[in-house]
Amino acid sequence: MIRFFERYEAETAQFFDEVISKEGAPRPHYDKMLHRFGQFSVDDIKARREIVNIFFRNQGITFTVYGEDEGVERLFPFDLIPRVVPSHEWQIIEKGLIQRITALNAFLNDIYHGQKILKDKIIPAELILGSQHFRREFIGVNPPLGIYIHVTGSDIIRDGQGNYMVLEDNLRTPSGVSYMLQNRQAMKRAFPVLFDKYKIRPIENYPQELLRTLQEISPASRRDPNVVLLTPGIYNSAYFEHSFLARQMGIELTEGKDLVVNNNKVYTRTTRGLEQVDVIYRRVDDAYLDPLVFRPDSKLGVAGLVNAYRKGNVTLANAIGCGVADDKVIYSFVPKIIKYYLGEDPILENVPTWLASNPADLKYILANLDSLVVKAANESGGYGMLIGPESTVEQQENFAEMIVANPRNYIAQPTISLSRHPSFFNDTELFGCHIDLRPYVLYGKTVTIVPGGLTRVALKRGSLVVNSSQGGGSKDTWVVDE
Amino acid sequence: MLSRVAESLFWMSRYFERAENTARFLDVNFNLLLDLNKITHVENPSYWVALILVTSDKDRFNTLYDEYSARTVTDYLVFNKSNPNSITSCIGLARENARSIIESISSEMWEQVNNLYHYLQNVTPQFVQNDPYGFYKEIKNASHLFQGITDNTFSHNEGWDFIQIAKYLERTDNIARLIDVKYHMLLSEAQSQPELVAGSEDIIQWMAVLKSCSALEAFRKVYLSKIDPDNILRFLILDRTFPRSINFSVCAAEDALWRISGSSRHRYVNNADRLIGKLEAELSYTAIEDIFATGLHNYLADLEQRLMKVGEQVHLTYFAYHTPEIESTDIEEALPFTGIAGGRANWSQAQQHQQQQ
Repeated sequence: MIRFFERYEAETAQFFDEVISKEGAPRPHYDKMLHRFGQFSVDDIKARREIVNIFFRNQGITFTVYGEDEGVERLFPFDLIPRVVPSHEWQIIEKGLIQRITALNAFLNDIYHGQKILKDKIIPAELILGSQHFRREFIGVNPPLGIYIHVTGSDIIRDGQGNYMVLEDNLRTPSGVSYMLQNRQAMKRAFPVLFDKYKIRPIENYPQELLRTLQEISPASRRDPNVVLLTPGIYNSAYFEHSFLARQMGIELTEGKDLVVNNNKVYTRTTRGLEQVDVIYRRVDDAYLDPLVFRPDSKLGVAGLVNAYRKGNVTLANAIGCGVADDKVIYSFVPKIIKYYLGEDPILENVPTWLASNPADLKYILANLDSLVVKAANESGGYGMLIGPESTVEQQENFAEMIVANPRNYIAQPTISLSRHPSFFNDTELFGCHIDLRPYVLYGKTVTIVPGGLTRVALKRGSLVVNSSQGGGSKDTWVVDE
Repeated sequence: MLSRVAESLFWMSRYFERAENTARFLDVNFNLLLDLNKITHVENPSYWVALILVTSDKDRFNTLYDEYSARTVTDYLVFNKSNPNSITSCIGLARENARSIIESISSEMWEQVNNLYHYLQNVTPQFVQNDPYGFYKEIKNASHLFQGITDNTFSHNEGWDFIQIAKYLERTDNIARLIDVKYHMLLSEAQSQPELVAGSEDIIQWMAVLKSCSALEAFRKVYLSKIDPDNILRFLILDRTFPRSINFSVCAAEDALWRISGSSRHRYVNNADRLIGKLEAELSYTAIEDIFATGLHNYLADLEQRLMKVGEQVHLTYFAYHTPEIESTDIEEALPFTGIAGGRANWSQAQQHQQQQ
């Protein structure tokens, strides 16, 4: 019956497999899907693969890999087998994320106002004040509704027992939500028959929810706030997403050169003159936002933007200086942060983390480089990482030197065997590939999470890195009501 | 509408039209050579050099190739990426512009330009050589399809008007160049081989000019079978109803410009309106005899100059959104009138590559 799964080796002794249980039987929420896939022939799968490829190419859903020849646009690898998250599991994720994001926002508000958490010595002050993402200039600035992190995307993984854990908080400019939406569209085109077997919660309202959130944080009492999206430009790897979201929300997609600040107000330059802007959903890093305040050589920013923001004439989403809370060092304190501000125990666990800045931890890290994952505190996108078990002695020695030279900048975690999910390598065979999950959290007057997220897949056999810049792909993610 | 968006619409449209016109020149030249097969050899370079003259690219061409032949000219005008006016380059640039405003155009428009781009990536010189007619037809149809999609899926407001301006300015410029070059060639032949000019080859050449504007049938309906150069020029320059005549195209560009600014006859609000209005008025009161009195070449050269001025004024009025105080002057100089094709797109490329979370 289950043709494609006959030769599938789940290796459940080593990994948590999303589809096959330790006993070797399909988990109940995958029953119907396995049955359906069992009815497909290799040719069926190839034909559907073609539909998906044409869909992505026609939509221009490509990304650019830096460091390769210019003009190399690739299709974002997409795996045809959707991931199913039963609603009782989703409930845990949802509650856990709302708790976590609420606490992190309270933390940011505190750091940029009274700094009580530092005075109470819950977190060593030097870790915050020495962070490269801490923006001293914003102490005392009051963003509307007291919200700093309007759009976040936390990376969630499952350990060997299948427990959901948070691996990383992305509080600055998380990307990938357009892939979440387009993956669903692609699946609807290629496998309409799968959909009538499941009660899948819709995610299509994400752009409307995002726009509502952005309108809610408008500084002016203007009835119809002017919201724009600020992109670095068409050569940015996430440009497709920027244009996609702007189109879905019906707002202007702007580059830095489209905006001008006059008298501490921000305007767009149009064929009819200047128009005032109230809210900027910016997908440009802090460092490039304003050449007068941050990097003076920035060609992507707007001179005077930061002052307009400080005056309260425009709202930036996310606020400036959020990076201080998604730093990988601060990450290790999030359970304490939740306890401190909310008086609750964290619903979603952290991955155990050693800080190189802590002498005892440093000793442990240096002694165990061959088994740990070492990460630079401020990098993203899978750059600046050492995966112990896959590294050479030379790489370990290099990292040891860098860690000793700048301990504040490094953390280490045990090599977690991310859960695995069967994926098509070519269209004839299935392999277990490691996956994670990035749900997107919106924070306006309320905290909203559309049910689902982007499931990223490490499509290199055995690889643990799911980032698209490192050869990862993605798959559709279904939160289903049972 | 954002100035940058308006500018990208303009250049997207302009490059698409340019690709279509290049396909037309090449298509007609092939057909012409087949007709002339008995009189002259297909590889006769004089028939190929004309195509390079039309695009004013003689110098660049000479640095790349040793001879004018079907192979080299086709390669240069269809495939060569260092030629910004080759069909491949034009469609690539049209797509880049479309990509930078993908949220402003309809998804159908994007799919069409993107499809054509991917189609061209897979076309080989061998393929064009085997079926030139089929290939050029594909390009022309793709352009017509794009215009039809635009008309039917994109709101007819300001943005659509910028698309029209670009299309008709580009078209006018191309018709003028085509006539100029053809006339120049015939004139030089008349001096060297007077017996040919009066004969059937002359007529065939002029029919080719009409065909490249898809104008042969329309022309015949007006002038029946009297195919002589005066009538052909009268038709291609002064006819007010044929969409590939100069007069029609100038009127259409004028209408679009006036819709944007709200200008009306006798009252203009900016220099772009003024220049195009003046051009249109003069065309309306010009007879073919006036043109011959000026000299056809001089007349067309002047026309091309004035079209360029209109383009510059459109740029200054609607697109020139740069603020000199925050951008250094050398960048400013490289910017005007290039769309995304010029230096602008690349100067911040490195910074745009910032990491995404």
